[in-house]
Formats: sequence, structure tokens, C-alpha cells
Amino acid sequence: MRFSQSIAPALLFLSGVAQAASSWGFDEGRISVVAKKGGAGVKEKINARTPLSTPVSLGSTDTLKIALTAKDNGQGKRPHQAFLVLKEQDSGLEAPYPLTVKESGQAVVSISHKDLPVQLLHASKPLKASVVIGSFGSAKGLNAPVFDVKLETDPNVPLPAYEKPLRYGKKDEIHHIFKADPKSPPKVISLFFAAAVLATVPVLFVSWVFLGANINHLSKAIGAAPLSHVTFFGSIVAMEFVFFLYYTSWNLFQTLPVIGAVGLVTVLSGTKALGEVQSRRLAGER
Amino acid sequence: MMRSPLLSFFAFLFAALCVSAVSTTGNRVLAILDDVAEKAIYSKFLGDLEGRGFQLTFETPKSESLALFKLGERVYDHVIFFPTKTKGLGPNLTPNILVQFLNANGNILQTLSSGVSTPNSLVSFLSEVGIELPVDRTGLVVDHFSYDTSSAADSHDVLLLPPPAPIRSDIKNLFSAGAAKDQVLAFPRGVGAVLGSSENLTPILRAPRTAYSYNPKEQSEVVDDLFAAGQQLSLVSAFQALNSARLVLLGSAELLQDKWFDADVTKPDGTTHKTFNREFAKRLSAWAFQELGVLRVNWIEHRLNEVGGSNETNPGIYRIKNDVKYTISLSEYAYDKWSAFSVPKNDVLQLEFSMLSPFHRLPLKFDESHSSPEASAYSVSFKLPDQHGIFNFKVNYKRPLLSNMEEKNTVSVRHMAHDEWPRSFVISGAWPWIAGIGATVTGWIAFCALWMYSAPPADYKKESKKTQ
Amino acid sequence: MAPKQRNTAAVAASAPSAPVTTVPIPTTTSTATTAAIKSSSSKQAASNTQAWDKVFNNITTHYLKTTPQRTKLLDAFMAFLVVVGALQFLYCVLAGNYPFNAFLSGFSATVGQFVLTASLRIQTTEANKKDFPAVSPERAFADYVVCSLILHFFCVNFIN
Repeated sequence: MRFSQSIAPALLFLSGVAQAASSWGFDEGRISVVAKKGGAGVKEKINARTPLSTPVSLGSTDTLKIALTAKDNGQGKRPHQAFLVLKEQDSGLEAPYPLTVKESGQAVVSISHKDLPVQLLHASKPLKASVVIGSFGSAKGLNAPVFDVKLETDPNVPLPAYEKPLRYGKKDEIHHIFKADPKSPPKVISLFFAAAVLATVPVLFVSWVFLGANINHLSKAIGAAPLSHVTFFGSIVAMEFVFFLYYTSWNLFQTLPVIGAVGLVTVLSGTKALGEVQSRRLAGER
Repeated sequence: MMRSPLLSFFAFLFAALCVSAVSTTGNRVLAILDDVAEKAIYSKFLGDLEGRGFQLTFETPKSESLALFKLGERVYDHVIFFPTKTKGLGPNLTPNILVQFLNANGNILQTLSSGVSTPNSLVSFLSEVGIELPVDRTGLVVDHFSYDTSSAADSHDVLLLPPPAPIRSDIKNLFSAGAAKDQVLAFPRGVGAVLGSSENLTPILRAPRTAYSYNPKEQSEVVDDLFAAGQQLSLVSAFQALNSARLVLLGSAELLQDKWFDADVTKPDGTTHKTFNREFAKRLSAWAFQELGVLRVNWIEHRLNEVGGSNETNPGIYRIKNDVKYTISLSEYAYDKWSAFSVPKNDVLQLEFSMLSPFHRLPLKFDESHSSPEASAYSVSFKLPDQHGIFNFKVNYKRPLLSNMEEKNTVSVRHMAHDEWPRSFVISGAWPWIAGIGATVTGWIAFCALWMYSAPPADYKKESKKTQ
Repeated sequence: MAPKQRNTAAVAASAPSAPVTTVPIPTTTSTATTAAIKSSSSKQAASNTQAWDKVFNNITTHYLKTTPQRTKLLDAFMAFLVVVGALQFLYCVLAGNYPFNAFLSGFSATVGQFVLTASLRIQTTEANKKDFPAVSPERAFADYVVCSLILHFFCVNFIN
């Protein structure tokens, strides 16, 4: 380490010079798409300076072949790293394919459709293909986009399903959907019917009067049994009033004893009062 | 009377001093090295650890006294594995024991080095948690596009990387926050790993896009069989078990050595940079040993949120459609103190109200009125579903690089009681029927009076007398 | 329609007092009805409605003549209950049955009251006297009051 440190400045200087002088590149770049059944496929020439303007389409049974000659400063040479990298544009996912390189720098790789990882098959945009050439030493590496690949999928064959791996993170919000509250009909209708129902009461009274109803016996009844008649009828009205209080404000345990008390009064006074009514009937007055 | 609170305060202060500046789970660290003398080259890193309150013990794998457990109890809280040349680690460090150590809430920081092949025991332990190492066990990561020209001009195996940013936008920046702009992380002669698909694995540092791993012994001329390249290679990986025990795999042990702390490195473009290694080593070990990214639940409170409702805290029973408020108070640990936890920018803390499946999953909002510098409260108000049964208030906050948190509070949700329904006169639809009862009762009372007191008409009386 | 008409006519005839004098009347009405229907089938529709008017007139005059006044008042009350019940039911059909408990208690208060009143009518009419020898009209009325109060209590309780 001490050695390297001592020569570091010198090396730095050297590498700076070398960088200016030496860099990786390639020549005679060719790509071809070979269909399985033979037949003429697409053939294009590629270079490191300008990528192909139109994407190369790759069918589901086709094979993509890339051949090039890697050169270090114009000299054919074998680099340690010679990759063709396919990149999915949305996720930035990359798949590297190392080229088989000869001593002379001639390199070749063939990629068939089925070699592609599942994630890339689901890509919506063309894949970006770039060539990466680099090696040890001072020569500058090359990382150049060269062409785009458009994947043609066979509509008859479904794509292999890709399930995203589970990751911890926030989940979608859930809001409980409540059952809708029951709705009352329009108030006008309710009010109309309520009024109609209540209007029958005066109609009833009028028709009674029309039929000759009267309370002429009241004085007679009161005269004969004043206390029992007043309490009997009063207790009936009182009972209905208790019901009304129960409906508006009282609870059951307040109500029940009062009902018991009023009921007792009703029964006791009722026997007397109705006895008087009976006596009137037997007297032929009813 | 006055003395006892004062005394207890001093006792508390003393206790606080004793455990000052240390991990939330303990301070006993075991460092395993080939040779105890090797610790000299890591002196700054180990000194930083001791400065933070850890007690270090050094052992070699061959040591007889080496044991992670004694009488079934953990003897150490954390273990650091430095590269060792021995093929096996002996009977005291089998993969099984290491898994047990994680299960017992122990934490492991494991380092690799390209020059030294990784022991069998550690390889199988790593594959147990889903981390795959190069087959030959001596992979070397190189990048011909970003290396230190001053120390690795030819071999390109000292990678220069920007301080690691979070892999996702909703993860807290634990490792590179506050790094100077021109600082770089030097990653000398390291091994890259490939992570499985488990959600408990997180890459802390990924290799650059142009980097790749090769076997320097067999593939020095040509890379015929690629292990992994680019971002698939994880240089520093984190595994956090469900019990929040942590394992960090650092691909380059050399990164922790003194010579790379605050050193100068030169990029291929000729620019010179300071290394970020010392700070990174500190943060990485702090995360591994539960000093960073540790969450604590201080308290949880749920209550009725209705005007005139009961003010009881955490009642066991609610009614359907009750309005309730749920509040949770959280703190996060950083090196030596608990402070308020703030949810990362693009992340949310969520509350689930669930029976078998969630009925509600709602975001919890920061609640300033219950927060302090030491604790932050998050709360949400919502209406309980119209379904009765046994429910859970559940906060299941599991995020990469934060300790796991799963809080459940069970409550029953009951039906409406008979006197909790709206009264009939409140509902306009019931008015005609109320009127119906009213009309019936009125008519009936009048009828009773008529029946008792109505005199028959005069003519009819005569008629009926005749017939009788 | 004809047999039903005849039937109600018979009931109306037999219900009120003085069975001896009224017995011949239904027979004459019924024969008149059938005759009218037979003749109307060959003639025009106008004569048909005329025949029906005759039947109704017969029934109503008979009812008005032979029914005691107290029973008429009772019938008016029952008619009132029928109208109130019909209104409530119509409302339920038109506007929906929410809140259902209110409909049930309101409607059953009216229907129950109708049933109780019908029982009172049966027990107190002179013609049925021999069917209930032990029940005096006053006793029947006492039962009626108690039962009605219980009914009202249940309905008030149930309407909430």
C-alpha cells in the first residue's frame, strides 16, 4: 500500500494522459432479427455515436443477434466487460447480456424472446438497448445507447403472469360504506295524511249528533252515583293521560305503578258506575 | 418527605448516566476476527463504537470460550463478523445458532471481503434469510466507470459511490442525510450479493449500473458466466426479522478500515473527493445495533368523540355508528435519546378498524396538541361501521429500515339499545300513524261517554216498550 | 254478487229486534231481487241499476227502521275506525312503511279497536242475548274498557 501511495501522483498523471489518449469503442456493429422458421429478418448496422432512429421489433419466437468488434483506440482488443444492457424505461429495470468476445475483439450475443425476464415482457414502451464496454487499465469505458427493441407478443399466447413481490409500505385507504338511512316520505304527504286521519274525528262527532247522540243521562247518572261515575270516567281519561306521559317522557318503571293505581280505581269505581247504568237499563230508560 | 423525591431523582439521573448513549437493546458487542491483533486496522470504527457506549469483546472462531448463549440466555446483544480465513466457524457459530440469535433479538453485522472466502456457516445463514452470494464465494465487484484512480487505477475494484439515498421515496433517509455534496463512499474490494424477494430484505447500497461481479481467479480474462450486474448487485444489505432483530451484510470489510476513513479519493474524471466512510460506518452500525430507526409506542388512546358522550378512555365497548377518536403516541430513537417520530414524507401511518378484514383503513394525522419534542401523537376521528361484533383498532406499521410495530386494541361494538333509536315523533313519516292512535283513542273516550250517558231518542223508547 | 247481497240482507233483517214481524220481509226482498236480475238481463242497463238502487234502498230503510239507536252510534264508531284504518293503510302503500313499528302500532290500534268494538256489538245486541246468557251489556262494556286500555298501552309502547 505504501508503494501504491508513493506512486499515486505519478499514476494519476499517467492515467490523466491515458484517458485523453485511450478509450474503448466498437466497429462493425450489426444487429439482426432471426425468425425461428428462417426467413429474412431485419438487419441493421449500429454504431456508438447515433442510436437507430426506429425501434427493432422482436417477435415472440424471434432471436436478436448482435455482433460487433470492440476496439481500444482503434485496435481490436478483448475487453473484460462487454455487455448489452436492455432497460425497461418505466421502472429503470435492467437486464445485462454479456457478449462472447474473442481475442480480436469480435463479440457476439444472441438473445431470444424467451430469455427475457418477465418484468421486461410487461414493458409498455420499447426497451432501450445500450452497449457497455470497459476493461481494466486506463482506457475509458464506453456506455452508449444503440437501439430500441419493441417487443411483439403473440396475442394467442398469454404473457406469463408477473406478480409484484410484497413490499412493506402504505396500503390503499378503506372507507366503510354505510347502509343508507331509511328515508321518510315527503313531509307534505305525511302532514296531509295525518290531517286526514285527525279530520275523521270531528266527522265522527257530527255523524253521532246526526244519529241523535246526546249526553242527557249524565245528570241522572251523576245524581244517582256521583263519586263512582266521576272517578270511573275520570280514571279512564287519566289512564290515557298516563299513556301519553309514558309516550312523551316517562320510562316504564315510572309508568307501571301509576297504571296499577289508576287501574285499581277504574275497576272499583267501574263496578259501581256500571251498576248504576244497569239499574237505568232495568228501569227501561236505556 | 422532601428528600425522597429528590433522592429518586438522583437515582434516576445516575441510572440515565450509566446507560447513556447506547442502543435500545443492549451494549454487549462480540467482534469475531481471524486474529485479535487485526483490530488495530479497524481502530477508528471500533473506537467510535466504544465512544457510543458499547462494550467490545474480541474472539477468534477457534476460541474455546466463544459462545453466543449461556444457559439459554444471550451473552451478547450484537455480533460483528470480520472476514475470517477459516472455512468453518466451529460448533459455536452454526447457522442454526445464528438464526436462534436473531430470534432472541440479537443483531448481527456481517462483513465480507473479496480476498477472503466466506465461511460455510455464514453462507448458509445468509441463504436462510434470502441473501445469495456468488457461487465461488470470492466474487469481486468492479466498475470501469467509477473507481478510485489513485488506489485502483488498473484493477478498478475500489468503487466510488454517492452516499446511499433511500431506495424508495417513502423511506426515511437514514444513511446519507447531511452528507456533504462532494463526499463519496469508497467501497474497496467488496462482494456483491443478490437479494431474494422477501419483504424483510432491503438493499441499503446498490451497485452502480455499470458495475458487475466476477471471479478474479477464473474470470480474469473474460466474463463467461455473469453472477449479477448493475443494480441487481446489493453491496450493503439489510435484513430485519419480524421481531425487529437486524442483520446487516456489508460487502466490503475494508470500508471500515482506518485508511478509508476521511481519505482522499480521485474519480476517473480527475476530481478529488473526501470519503464518507466514517459517517457511513457509524450510521450503518448504529442501524444494525438498534440505535437508529427504532420506534416506540408511548401510549394509545381511543375514546368516544360525541357531544354529551361518556369521557371514558379506552372503553371496552362501543355502539355501532359511534363517532370515535383514536390517538397513538410514537417516539423514535437516535443514538442516545428518544425524540418525536415524524412519518416520512410520502408515507402514511394508517389505522385499521378490522374484524376479520379491515372495515376502515384511515390515515392518522399529526396531532400537535398531544405532541412534545420527545413524542409525537397521531390521531384520526371516524364513525364506527354499522356492524356489531368484536373489532380491533390496529396499527400495523412495518416499513423498511424502521423497527416493526403492530398494535392491536380489541373492543366490542354493540347494537343500538331499544331506547337509542330516534323517537317516532322525530320521524316525519310516522306522523299519520301517531295521528291514527290519537284519533282512535279520542274517538274511543267519546264513545265510552256516549255509551254510558246517551239517552235513547224519545220515539224509539216508546217503540221498544211496545215491542217488549 | 246476487247470493252475497241476499245474505247481507238476511243478516240485516235478522239482526234487529222484533223477529216475528220482520221475517216475511227478507223473503220478499230476495225474490224481488232475483226477479229483477232475471228481467234485467234481457232489458237495458238502466233498468239494471234501477234494480240495484231498489235493493240498497230496501236495505238502508230496513237498517234505519229496525236498528236501535245505541247500535247505530256503535256502527258509526266502527265505520269511523274503518275509515281511519283505511287511511293509514293507504298511506303505508303510497309512502312506504318506514318506520314500520309506527305503522304496525298505529294500524293495529285501529284494527284492534274495531275488533273489540265488534265484539261489544255482538255481545250487546238484543238478538244475540240468548247466546250470552251470563253476560250483561254492562259486563261486556267493562270487559271492553279493560281490553281497550290494554290495547292502547301496547300500541303506545310499541310506537316508540
